[in-house]
Amino acid sequence: MVDITLKVGGAAGQGVQTVSEALSLILARHGYYVFSIEDYQSRIRGGHTFTLVRVAEQWVSGGKRALDILVCLNEGTYQLHHGEVKEGGVILGKTGNETPGRGVHLLPLDFEGVALRLGNRVFANMVATGAVLAILGVGLEKAREYVRETFARKGPEVVARNEEALEEGARLVEASGMIFSSPFLTEHRDPSEISRRYLISGNEALGLGALLAGCTFYSAYPMTPSTGILNFLAARAEAYGLIVEQAEDEIAAINMAIGASYAGARAMTGTSGGGFCLMCEGLGLAAMTETPIVVIDAQRPGPSTGLPTRTAQGDLLFVLHASHDEFPRFVFAPRDPQEALNTVIRAFNLAEKYQVPAIILSDQYLADTRWSYDRLSCEERPIRPLFSWDGTSPYRRYALTPDGISPRLFPGGEALVVADSDEHDERGHLTEDLALRKVMQEKRMRKLEFMRKEMRFPFVLEGKDATLIGWGSTWGVLLEVRKTLEQKGKSIGVVHFSDLYPLPEGLKDLLKRSPNPVVVEQNFSGQLAMLLERETLLPFPRRICRYDGLPFLVEELAEQVEEVL
Amino acid sequence: MTVATPFDAQDVEIAWCPGCGNFGILQALKETLDELGYRPQDVVVVSGIGQAAKAPHYLRVNVFNGLHGRSIPVAFAIKTVRPELLVIAESGDGCMYGEGGNHLLHAIRRNPDITVLVHNNQVYGLTKGQASPTSGEGFRSKAQPWGNLSRPLNPLSLAISQGAGLVARAFAGDREGLKGILKEALSFRGFALVDILQPCVTFNPVNTYAWYRERVYYLGKDHNPEDQVAAFQKSLEWGDRIPLGVFYRNPQPTYEMKVEERAKRRRNLFEEEEFQRILQEEFAQLL
Repeated sequence: MVDITLKVGGAAGQGVQTVSEALSLILARHGYYVFSIEDYQSRIRGGHTFTLVRVAEQWVSGGKRALDILVCLNEGTYQLHHGEVKEGGVILGKTGNETPGRGVHLLPLDFEGVALRLGNRVFANMVATGAVLAILGVGLEKAREYVRETFARKGPEVVARNEEALEEGARLVEASGMIFSSPFLTEHRDPSEISRRYLISGNEALGLGALLAGCTFYSAYPMTPSTGILNFLAARAEAYGLIVEQAEDEIAAINMAIGASYAGARAMTGTSGGGFCLMCEGLGLAAMTETPIVVIDAQRPGPSTGLPTRTAQGDLLFVLHASHDEFPRFVFAPRDPQEALNTVIRAFNLAEKYQVPAIILSDQYLADTRWSYDRLSCEERPIRPLFSWDGTSPYRRYALTPDGISPRLFPGGEALVVADSDEHDERGHLTEDLALRKVMQEKRMRKLEFMRKEMRFPFVLEGKDATLIGWGSTWGVLLEVRKTLEQKGKSIGVVHFSDLYPLPEGLKDLLKRSPNPVVVEQNFSGQLAMLLERETLLPFPRRICRYDGLPFLVEELAEQVEEVL
Repeated sequence: MTVATPFDAQDVEIAWCPGCGNFGILQALKETLDELGYRPQDVVVVSGIGQAAKAPHYLRVNVFNGLHGRSIPVAFAIKTVRPELLVIAESGDGCMYGEGGNHLLHAIRRNPDITVLVHNNQVYGLTKGQASPTSGEGFRSKAQPWGNLSRPLNPLSLAISQGAGLVARAFAGDREGLKGILKEALSFRGFALVDILQPCVTFNPVNTYAWYRERVYYLGKDHNPEDQVAAFQKSLEWGDRIPLGVFYRNPQPTYEMKVEERAKRRRNLFEEEEFQRILQEEFAQLL
């Protein structure tokens, strides 16, 4: 079975993403499953950036540490990563002349020099792409097709030069006379007989989910790693009639979303932890005025500015409690792009139904990682606004009801709609009647038990030796670790949460039945473990916490799991 | 003389101090809305927090009483989503120029067709008397016992310098004059800022009704509100003589006009066929 890991590294602005994206798309069109993880720095030029691409014949859901191929767009890449290359692997590009030993092939290639001979340094990206495809043993037909599509708008000359660049790259590898055998893709597959794979990143999925949820208003302030959602929706604003507004700050962004929702739009905002901090008062405003909104927090390590371009799951307890006093809210953390697509629609629907804020936790790993699938599906459908006013009795925006959900109307109809951030009476007018305050707080909090019934049970795979418990973006790597340890004769279960708050009923029984629980999280303390302890009164002392800003890779996490068992 | 209007609220207890300038502004607004022919259901009044921000509760209109300083982004979004509604953002000087100052700057740039009414009493009333962004230098309070060390913000100069749609100043103590300015501002298509001088009878012993009456005068026919430089120059006048009226008019396309065509292309995701069409189109791009 083919399962290759390659890394493309270079300075920011050198084309790392161009090369890895080309390879991912071309190989997915050859019917391989692709999984690509981006690592980049908070800068525009220079520094060091790389993409890890896993290419396999079976579906994969996590990245590996050991490399089969290392593509060095600069010498720094060689220095930093040559030790990660496996025996029999290949290092190509700006490799320097040191022999790494261990049976690693060294293939010094001057991508830029070839590109300059073709007329422009930018063609180096396709020279590198062509070289890697040749090493893999993949024909250039799909690559040419990709080049024609990608560069069409730049004119036939650019397309032709890039096609030449691909061929030059492949020719250089052939001219080297090196013979690559297993584990590379030795068979030339017939492209007509294979089905393409869908390739989608978390940010694309979250944007697409919003589009399909009928989101008509998105306001945001750019902040890595959430900016991709803004870009995705902005690119579709004209075609789909969306209002996409870059706000002056995150405070404005959330207040705009709330105003839009009050007026009748389906509204969302997105940010990262620091921006979410600024949104906290607005989150409370949505709760107090009972205005549905969806907020995406794409987590990164902090506190404060932290590591802008790296990943973390450190905001769980924060978003659970964000804003002063108490109010009901939904918190979701989709496990992969496929689920994210559906999660956004669910979040919109549930926010609408319960008139509460719904928070979706993403992170840099989910946001930027590309997953591949045989098929994508979207089971959720947006619900229409629920207007439950009978039209006869005087309209009261915050009328007391058994489930706490009051009739919502948009302004502009016959009934006047009064929304207030102060404590208010049923009509929406501010009050300091403290008995009424108690009644209104109970009305809002009453929703929580109904909301709990909407929440889905965690994803469960049973295992006898241990149970890995996680949430959000770590789902894929937990599956991979389970598989890896299974090969070593261990039976590992997985309990993975995508619906985080309110937690569904019946969890305690499930967790009691799970042998040797190990909670795996990308934060310092083990925040899910703390939440589960609080909600179930069961202890979760075994925790694997990674908080260096990098995602869990399969081999490393498998080793850590073995250590704690 | 108080005229009854369809905008008179029923069963609300007004929490303002007796003699507060807010009463005059509230009545002028109700009469202006009525005289312009609006119905309560056509109007949304958005406010922040503070004594002035309670005004929408004392009106029969659609209300969004939001957070301190944040009425403008809410009003912008409501107008963008529902351009057929008349949208007013109403609050005090602390709310609009202090806590929400950044939003004012950027609303001027966006130019939504909203009217921002600022009850400017040059003091924080609800928190009991601290200096506001428009308090004079040397203004003493419990929080500034040494006297305000900062110079007052000039909201008119600021808005005119940034080419805002309409910039005006009114005085709460002259209802007819205020109504005239409100009429112009509410009828203007674009972002309109009306800074309303409002005596605070409890916490501002300096800028009283009498103090204002001695100083205010209306801009005459010789003032050309289309002339940005002249308007800016006039906005600097403050002290013995304080001009009132529309300082500046700068008609320009509104935000809603710029997205009007786009809004027509909105797709109906609630129809399964349309949903499927969009789904398939988007999925195809991911292959």
